[in-house]
Amino acid sequence: MKRIRSQIARGSAELAILVLLAEQPLYGFEISKQIEEKTGGALYFTLASLYPMLYDLEKRGWIAGRWEPNVAGRDRRYYGLTPAGKKELAPLRREWNFFFQALDRLAGVTNA
Amino acid sequence: MHDESTPDWKVLVRERLLPLGLPEQEEQQVVAELAAHLEDCYEEQIETGVSESAACETKLNELFETRRLAKNIQRAKYKEELMNPRTKQLWLPSLVSLTAAMGSLMILILISLQPRFLGRSPLQMVLLPWLALLPFCGAAGAWLSRRGGADLVARVVSGLFPMIVLFSLVGTLIVTRLIVLARPHLPFISIWIALGIILPSAALLIGAAPFLKATKSKGIA
Repeated sequence: MKRIRSQIARGSAELAILVLLAEQPLYGFEISKQIEEKTGGALYFTLASLYPMLYDLEKRGWIAGRWEPNVAGRDRRYYGLTPAGKKELAPLRREWNFFFQALDRLAGVTNA
Repeated sequence: MHDESTPDWKVLVRERLLPLGLPEQEEQQVVAELAAHLEDCYEEQIETGVSESAACETKLNELFETRRLAKNIQRAKYKEELMNPRTKQLWLPSLVSLTAAMGSLMILILISLQPRFLGRSPLQMVLLPWLALLPFCGAAGAWLSRRGGADLVARVVSGLFPMIVLFSLVGTLIVTRLIVLARPHLPFISIWIALGIILPSAALLIGAAPFLKATKSKGIA
């Protein structure tokens, strides 16, 4: 599948990160890997796009990072959803749902 | 210990990314985090059969994007920040506590000069009400400072800032008096220090005290 390189992808990346972190705390590499796998490669992060986004979300108080050892015993910065992030997630989902429905009505683009 | 066959990602990231213009500790964390990411990517590629040199080259290519990366990180960390951390944590809260303290003093003096209050003692009309208001001024300064993420010293300074200014002013006056008059009036100076510095400082500190405790870190839900 062609990689989506657009503003929509960047906007939806925030949602993707929050959705993943709502399940469990993950570190940067795991986040990028899981997003790529779960979206079949449609959403893909480079270093230059992932970390600034994580720092931005952290600054907004939606996620919080803390250093912890991973399964291999190496220190990694795990990000988890904060209560504020949890609160943001529901309206964000609704907004995207509304957006896809609107597109569906307009152009027959179905909500994945 | 670093394995000699694998690249030292921290060094590579540091070489290409710094200076980011972030506080040192934050910069170190960013470097460590990016290095860890590259290390994971590199090892994953090795596991999938890519040669070490090719894997290294791929990851280094990602690092060539570092100009964009550094710019994005700076933007993410400081985006929409109208004020730098020093202003947010110290100068603005200090200005607020100073304005509130001096403003309330001025209002009380103006009220005490009203004809119907003439004859009442300044202690009753100005000083006591002012001391009662000062804890709120100290609280405002310390609270704003804590909200800006300041450390303990900045919070104390923000809360006590009106008295720091007043102390400098009174100190200058006392020194001037000592120089000009040569014969200082010690009881007068003591009263000035007690009423003008110590009591108001205590009042400010009482207000600031609840905001001097360490803030709870944002937990992971």
